[in-house]
Amino acid sequence: MAKIGVYVCHCGENIAGAVNIEEVVKYSQTLPDVVVVKNYVFMCSDPGQDLIKQDIKDGLVDRVVVAACTPRTHEPIFRDAVEAAGLNRYFLEMANIRDQDSWAHWHDKSGATEKAKRLIKSAVAKVRLAEPLYDRYGDVEKSVMVVGGGVAGMFAALDLANMGLKVYLVERQPSIGGNMIKLDKTFPTMDCSACILTPKMVEVAQHPNIELITYAEVDEVKGYVGNFDIRVRKKARYIDWDKCTGCGVCTQICPARVPNEYNFGMDQRRAAYIEFPQAVPKKAVIDAPNCLYFKSLKKTGKPACEICKKGIPPKGIQGCPADAIKFDDKDEYVTLKVGAVILATGYKVMDKTHFKEYSPHSPDVVTAMEFERILSATGPTEGELKRPSDGTKPKTIAFISCVGSRDERYHSYCSKVCCMYMFKHARILKEKYPDIKLYLFFIDVRTAGKDFEEFYVYTKQLGVKVIRGGRVSAVDVKPNGKLRVRGFDVDLCSPVELEADMVVLATAIEPPEGTEELGRLFAATCGREGFLREVHTKLYPVETAAKGVFIAGCVQGPKDIPESIAQSRAAAAAAAALVIPGKIKFEAIISEVDRDKCSSCGVCVPLCPYNAIRLEEYKGKDKAKIEPALCAGCGVCASACPSRAIVFHGYTTEQILAQIEALTEV
Amino acid sequence: MEEVTVNVIDLNQCDEDFIKQLIELGAEELKECIQCGKCASTCPMALAGLEFFIKRIIHAATLGLRDILIEDPSVWACQSCNRCVEICPMDVKPYEIIQAVRRAAVRVEACPASTYEGLRNLYRFGHAVFPKGFEERRKKAGLPEKPPTALSFDELRKKYQEVLKQTILEEIAPFPLD
Amino acid sequence: MKKIGLFLGCNIPFNRPDVEYSIRYLLNELGVEIVELEGATCCPAFGSMPSLDVVGWATASAWNLTIAEEKGVDIITGCGSCYGSLNEAKYHMDKHPEIKEQVNKILSTVGKEYKGTSKVWNVINYLYEEIGLDNLKAKIKYNLNGLKCAVQTGCHNLWPSKAYPTNEDNTFNPTRMREICEALGGVAPHYSTITDCCGMGALRSQASAKSLALFKKKLDVIKEEIDPDVCITGCNSCLMQFDAGQALLIEQKKLNYKIPALHIAQLVAIALGADVEKATALATIPLNGVITKIKGGN
Repeated sequence: MAKIGVYVCHCGENIAGAVNIEEVVKYSQTLPDVVVVKNYVFMCSDPGQDLIKQDIKDGLVDRVVVAACTPRTHEPIFRDAVEAAGLNRYFLEMANIRDQDSWAHWHDKSGATEKAKRLIKSAVAKVRLAEPLYDRYGDVEKSVMVVGGGVAGMFAALDLANMGLKVYLVERQPSIGGNMIKLDKTFPTMDCSACILTPKMVEVAQHPNIELITYAEVDEVKGYVGNFDIRVRKKARYIDWDKCTGCGVCTQICPARVPNEYNFGMDQRRAAYIEFPQAVPKKAVIDAPNCLYFKSLKKTGKPACEICKKGIPPKGIQGCPADAIKFDDKDEYVTLKVGAVILATGYKVMDKTHFKEYSPHSPDVVTAMEFERILSATGPTEGELKRPSDGTKPKTIAFISCVGSRDERYHSYCSKVCCMYMFKHARILKEKYPDIKLYLFFIDVRTAGKDFEEFYVYTKQLGVKVIRGGRVSAVDVKPNGKLRVRGFDVDLCSPVELEADMVVLATAIEPPEGTEELGRLFAATCGREGFLREVHTKLYPVETAAKGVFIAGCVQGPKDIPESIAQSRAAAAAAAALVIPGKIKFEAIISEVDRDKCSSCGVCVPLCPYNAIRLEEYKGKDKAKIEPALCAGCGVCASACPSRAIVFHGYTTEQILAQIEALTEV
Repeated sequence: MEEVTVNVIDLNQCDEDFIKQLIELGAEELKECIQCGKCASTCPMALAGLEFFIKRIIHAATLGLRDILIEDPSVWACQSCNRCVEICPMDVKPYEIIQAVRRAAVRVEACPASTYEGLRNLYRFGHAVFPKGFEERRKKAGLPEKPPTALSFDELRKKYQEVLKQTILEEIAPFPLD
Repeated sequence: MKKIGLFLGCNIPFNRPDVEYSIRYLLNELGVEIVELEGATCCPAFGSMPSLDVVGWATASAWNLTIAEEKGVDIITGCGSCYGSLNEAKYHMDKHPEIKEQVNKILSTVGKEYKGTSKVWNVINYLYEEIGLDNLKAKIKYNLNGLKCAVQTGCHNLWPSKAYPTNEDNTFNPTRMREICEALGGVAPHYSTITDCCGMGALRSQASAKSLALFKKKLDVIKEEIDPDVCITGCNSCLMQFDAGQALLIEQKKLNYKIPALHIAQLVAIALGADVEKATALATIPLNGVITKIKGGN
């Protein structure tokens, strides 16, 4: 017969504030096999743990229930304590009477107390049936894959490479650099974005430990923490990168013109193109859907244009001088073995078309990201401030904040960087064109951050007009092409309107396309807003639900450059801490098949998210077999098995039924 | 002589029961408002210069400033244009909050005389708007003196009155429903 | 043959029956059979039952909706408030079964039941979707001859869009009325305050001077930006502000120009050959110039 000790934690006032501890203690004493019940203000503190350890050492208890907070953060601590006192570490059960009880029902003390009793009763029922389990150890591949070559991915890759680890940096675009390389200047120091980023891009490309794989995407993920097998699809470039010198001849002679994504369609590029002047690697690709060679091949069976390859001899125009054009190029697949992964795929900004009240049909209404390109020397106007509609220099510009952010119809969150970059835009413009009139419309000004408030005050001193307290409700186009902006000024306590030449919308930061699919490939989950989710906002900010898969930068949520870099270096440290020791512990909570009971139906095989189950011959029949190293202990197979042939250690059917019974008993 | 008072609102006046009442009367999303002010920049009441307009009304409502809201007649000047509902980023449905304040006000008989007049006309004739001299105007347009509405059908009008008597009008109307 | 229930409301039959005449005329000309909604009442107006409670509002609306349902027809109205109130009440009932249930409990005492089978149209959307611009063009007797129109769709014809069965692609940049005017041979440029409120409605009755000032601001922009021959409204209340309201501003010496105004139904009726005397019988601002331009062109 088990001797169960129940240890009730007050968690300061967190639990004791809503749950009547005394009553819970009394109740717990009445539960079957419970021999000791103790309570303490902080059970996770050393003296708290000592209470448990002492009772075990004294031989009073051989099973432990801790009624406290979440096992997510505290179970390892109490398992260690139980083990240190000489018990199997799985003879411990936690009843979460804080997160699932006192916090949720703080307004209903008697209800919370009753629920605490039930949760403890259920934990006691489970721990009575606990079996001893033993952890296992496995080898770890000493390499890391970083997905996304923006500023976050680059810094993570560099840190890991400098620690001596092999790093594969996979980027979807032809060049690394991400969103940051598109920016003109950066707040609060006003560094030129390209000036501070290009040296880093070169460093990444030249680092002996970094293998840069651009114009490529993750295609398939197999394996598990410490031993991932990741298949990467390198998209056909139609240009042999071993030969391409980045001279740019093909990008000048290619006759097919398409909107240039890099400048958000405000100018054109060719079908053969180098993504941008400072691209790393500086290599050209051919965009097949827009290339005349492929278009006509598809339509007529014959290629119509090979100018990039052969030039136009009658006109004396030469084709690719490096003979790098390779029309028969194919997608290429490589499988890489890594111990850990960092996902740093960044963000995209919302398109203006959603905001019908802001006259999105007007070319003079632009998003802030488009405006960055207008300001940039490598942008469509080569840095000259021009109205997209008629090329004139705007005299009055309105900036509108919170477009699609703090908005239940799109994104309830604050995009965090908009207030600051609006001031940055204002400062760039005012320093260049002191006479320009700038009106910044805010709901409220959010400038929390090092040196941010000072930046705001300085920019205001340049004569920038700040209108607070009224989200703009309408932008209307006048017949003369000017834009009427309507807002509300809470300080004047009046509606206000403004005639502007241009309107810049600070549209929300969103997860980039494919984030959910990417997460699914790696078994990392997304939050409500579609960003990849950390395990714990405070304690585990770079870890995901998938072990060995870490996140950094805006793919986890909106943040500015300093924060992105800080987080990416944190992710690098966390990934390094995992792979450098070369060994990893696997928990004993896994599933196992009783092959004599298995009916060979195979239901479990496709259900397993970790590909850990296969059918294998046993006594002349194909029976399910679970590979312990691959099993992550999710329990899906055990709950699906129609023959109840799968035992989920740590959560056996008997244990679960006992818990349900305890919870539902009238 | 005009009464002179200081311009301070006593926040201790906040009446939680009033907030609850408004929510019951249709201001279901009241507490979602983040006071972004988008409605205020387009609300005809604000543009026309009324003292109390949508943003302030909602804020006063979230603070439960019952007397201020009930005593101020501004809500009765709302155009019901619904532009606020269309643009509200938090889907607060500002117009529904105006209606909720009106509904709370009529329950303590704090509404303009024209409201009762409209209700009386609605009950008596089937038409809340019932201006004099319409027969003459209809003749000018070559139409019969009375339109084929409840006005022309006594039986149907009586039935309609039966229906109205079973609504809240029965409790609120300061005129006899017979 | 198409059939439709003509919902009159209050302001159209009592204040601007010339609009009623025009709607009747244009439906006849376009081959749509008018079904009279006998016993119909006020929609009800936003300041009446809607200001008491939702169930009372929905009940009063449902009375009208059931008349059309019983006759198996959709409803057409030329008044923005009616369009708004009926559709919003429908939306409340269709979205919240408990409201519909309470309404039907009351209606059952007089042998009625709201089912939700009749759609509520305004004149603009009915012409645009059910008749179609090509059909309309084919029936014109008098071309508008380049008549420059400033269109005013009206708030209630646009918002709240979620309550409406059909609407403009962008309610902040409405084009349907402009397209109708152009199909008739007129020109109808965009102007920057096209979706601004005219000021008619509760504001006009509670704060008349402010309402007229708001209207004047809009009219000034219209005058400055497009200087039209005529203002065309999609809503009867807007028409009353644009016509009688404008006359008031002139009388108060607050306006030194005048722009005649017509409801879209009047404009279409005239183009289809309606008796101008009847179709514009209650207009305050003289329409001579407008009629001459239309009839002169043939």
